[in-house]
Amino acid sequence: MAIKKLAFIVEKLPYKAETSRLALTHAIASQTVEIYLEDGDNVEPVIAFVGDGVLNCLKDQKALDIYGVTSLEMHLKNALLLDLKVLVCKEDLDRLGLKEDDIVMDAEELGAEVTTEVVPYDQIQQEMESADHLLFF
Amino acid sequence: MKLAVFVNEYREPAILDRLKADKFGIILVQNGVYHATVKKDGQTSPVLSKDAEFYVLSEDLQSRGFGDGDVDSKVKVINYEGLVDLIFNDFEKFIWL
Amino acid sequence: MGKLTIGCFSSLVGSMTLDFAVKLAEAAVKKGHEVDLWLSGNGVMLGKKGQSKFRDYSYLAGTVEELLKTGKFRITNCEACAKARGIDKEDTMDGFGIHSMDWYLASAFDADRVLHIGGE
Repeated sequence: MAIKKLAFIVEKLPYKAETSRLALTHAIASQTVEIYLEDGDNVEPVIAFVGDGVLNCLKDQKALDIYGVTSLEMHLKNALLLDLKVLVCKEDLDRLGLKEDDIVMDAEELGAEVTTEVVPYDQIQQEMESADHLLFF
Repeated sequence: MKLAVFVNEYREPAILDRLKADKFGIILVQNGVYHATVKKDGQTSPVLSKDAEFYVLSEDLQSRGFGDGDVDSKVKVINYEGLVDLIFNDFEKFIWL
Repeated sequence: MGKLTIGCFSSLVGSMTLDFAVKLAEAAVKKGHEVDLWLSGNGVMLGKKGQSKFRDYSYLAGTVEELLKTGKFRITNCEACAKARGIDKEDTMDGFGIHSMDWYLASAFDADRVLHIGGE
């Protein structure tokens, strides 16, 4: 029996490239990974947004209405609904003039119980250190 | 942690200054090889001023018209075979920027 | 000997990042390691059957076929990423796996090393 921690670190901006979207969809795929693993084995994902990547977390994204593609906001809410750990770097929010009010902090309307955690970069560094593998997007 | 970062572009990635590791490697591949070979305005690339062990991929050097003699003395030239050994023997975690 | 899982999300033609991933896989297999290569995003183009070999464009089908013969190499396309690009099972090269994204995480689970190469 083993749990392997995978850290999904997102630094890229959304939409122009698929990268940050794929970070979230792959992290969410952790919910079904057990079908490939032995009983008791599992992966534990943590998603952390750093650098300009924190802009993926802005509220009120209307990509679905305009371009017909799921917004990063919706993916983020799904991640919270599935109890994934989502971290956003505080220093980068400050640097970009953003506050908690500006980003997706919860998905209460979907019934999610966990919330986004705004944390110092050092905490994200610790998550990277304690992870078994890094997936940097 | 033993962390190696693959730098594949000829610009200085912002996150390099934030990453901390007990053993820190910077592996220059693709257009990252220019950090090891080109002196802009006579200056060595700021990437080489990081506190890290530096490696450059010989196949990507040669593809771009460079040889081992063009490489900054801080940087060790490795080939794909050497890169495999580096991945399995020297580092544990990797970031492709 | 160990297991290396490589995830590559870059396109076959235009970036040469998949060339890097396949050359790295080839070198690792030659040294006796096992390699899983997961292709997602534009990376799934590598699995498209019937690609033409022109010298101005990356062409990796031959190397992939040789690697598959070693028995130490698995290559898998992300099913949704491929279907979104019109690549179904019948359009995919022989020997390729087709799975949902959880396959990549399962491969990472028992890998000794993971190199995740994001998109362009």
